[in-house]
Amino acid sequence: MSRMNIQAAVTMGQLQNKIDLISHNVANLNTNGYKARSSNFSSLIYQNINNLKDVDANAPGRHTPHGIRLGSGARIGHTNINLTAGSLNITNRGLDVALLRDNHLLQIQVTENGNTETRYTRDGSLYLQPVDGGQVMLTTSDGHPVIGQSGGAIMFDENIEDIRINEIGQIVTVRNGVEVVEDGLAVVEAVRPQFLQAAGKNLFRLPNLEGTPYVAADIVSTVNQFDNEIQSGALEQSNVDLATQMAELLQTQRAYQYNARTITMHDQMRGLINQLR
Amino acid sequence: MLRGFYTAASGMQAQQRRQEALSNNLANAQTPGFKQDQAAIRAFPELLINQVGKKNIPTTRPFSVPTQQPIGSINTGVYVQETISDHQQGGLQETGMTTDMALINVELPDETGGIFFAVQNADGEVRYTRNGNFTIDGEGYLTTNQGYYVLNQAGEPIFTDGQVFSVTSEGELEVGGTVIPLNIAYTENVNDLIKDDHDLFTFTEGTGEAVDARGVAGLTFAVQQRYLESSNVDLVQTMTDMMQAFRLFEANQKVLQAYDQSMDIAVNQVGRLT
Repeated sequence: MSRMNIQAAVTMGQLQNKIDLISHNVANLNTNGYKARSSNFSSLIYQNINNLKDVDANAPGRHTPHGIRLGSGARIGHTNINLTAGSLNITNRGLDVALLRDNHLLQIQVTENGNTETRYTRDGSLYLQPVDGGQVMLTTSDGHPVIGQSGGAIMFDENIEDIRINEIGQIVTVRNGVEVVEDGLAVVEAVRPQFLQAAGKNLFRLPNLEGTPYVAADIVSTVNQFDNEIQSGALEQSNVDLATQMAELLQTQRAYQYNARTITMHDQMRGLINQLR
Repeated sequence: MLRGFYTAASGMQAQQRRQEALSNNLANAQTPGFKQDQAAIRAFPELLINQVGKKNIPTTRPFSVPTQQPIGSINTGVYVQETISDHQQGGLQETGMTTDMALINVELPDETGGIFFAVQNADGEVRYTRNGNFTIDGEGYLTTNQGYYVLNQAGEPIFTDGQVFSVTSEGELEVGGTVIPLNIAYTENVNDLIKDDHDLFTFTEGTGEAVDARGVAGLTFAVQQRYLESSNVDLVQTMTDMMQAFRLFEANQKVLQAYDQSMDIAVNQVGRLT
């Protein structure tokens, strides 16, 4: 009797998740290098009901096999990351970089709870952070070191007159009017980008590869420095399309309303049963 | 006995069943490749009513013979006979995801025919789906969003190695220089298929079978990568049907109440002694 209610209630819960996802995308409309996520629905299980014991009496005029099948609603099948590149925003700031090649990522060293892990991002707004010994370190806006060609953090002496990052990712500083190449950004290419996991704070991480035939190098591979295509003084914007998100939001909200109507209608039907006597 | 009591109750039950099918359609209005169900309602098998009486024969020793006079046929109720999936093509929706594919019926040789992606369920059996919202699993195979392998023409899982691939409109997947034709299955009569869990269709034992769509004469299809086939649920139609089913439910309830009132009179008024 309460199948209708369950169908609608389950689906509304899942639609709410979709609305959450859309609002997350919209909230990150101005997050550099953010990749939009989308979700798609899938139907839930079907119940086969033998509506009559005498199948032959039920057979005349039928088009389909015996019994009737009633579904139990829908749920989100999976969420997908849209990896297409966002548009460029020219900032003219020396330490802003945009990676022009698809699926290229910067490597970031993140230390959490004493564990150091390499994570990946396309957010190229970089900063200099002073460290001990009169040096500065290239970091992300969260202060995580950016990995350089040497395999470690990029550090060099302070007292810089000017700094810029060239098209192959080399950090060029100007000291006493002389240009010096300090280090280069170590860019990686995600060969199997679908395997990357979002780790929050605009970063991606490698999934747990245990039990799969892949090793880390199969997911991301190092890019030769000269194959880099980097635009400095620009940032890659998020690839969220506001119009699409709003359209999805409206559609999802309507679907939510429709399912709420199902519950109302079912409630009224139960009311009618109650009024029988 | 008032026969109509049960007739009205069966009417309520049938409308309830119909509502359940409709509300599931509504719930799946955003499920790619979903095919809406239509509940077919049918009367209970027909019965013939006879008037049974007797006739006195005026003779010296009066005796009577039983007589039967047919009155007409009656159906004592109604039920949902079957739920039929409407296999009409859904609209196309662009998603931009490389793992999304929409299957388009261009020309089918049979009016009741249908084409599907063939996938392998958890028990290793072949199932059919129109939901091309695929993904890549941790081992690099193309799967449905439930993790069921999508099959190639030879009936084997498709190994993409996790790399970006392209799909031609002929349904050929190209990855790293290898061309893998997708398994597109054709059945002459889609009504032989029943809905299985998670967007899958299956044949029941003894009914129909699917053949390779590429070998069928007069059949053309197209596969569109980065698109999904939307659910073919017509929201306006569904909502109208639900309102209609609701009112029919209500009408049957009123009839049931009327019978109850008749019964009340019969029991409490007619048989009253004082």
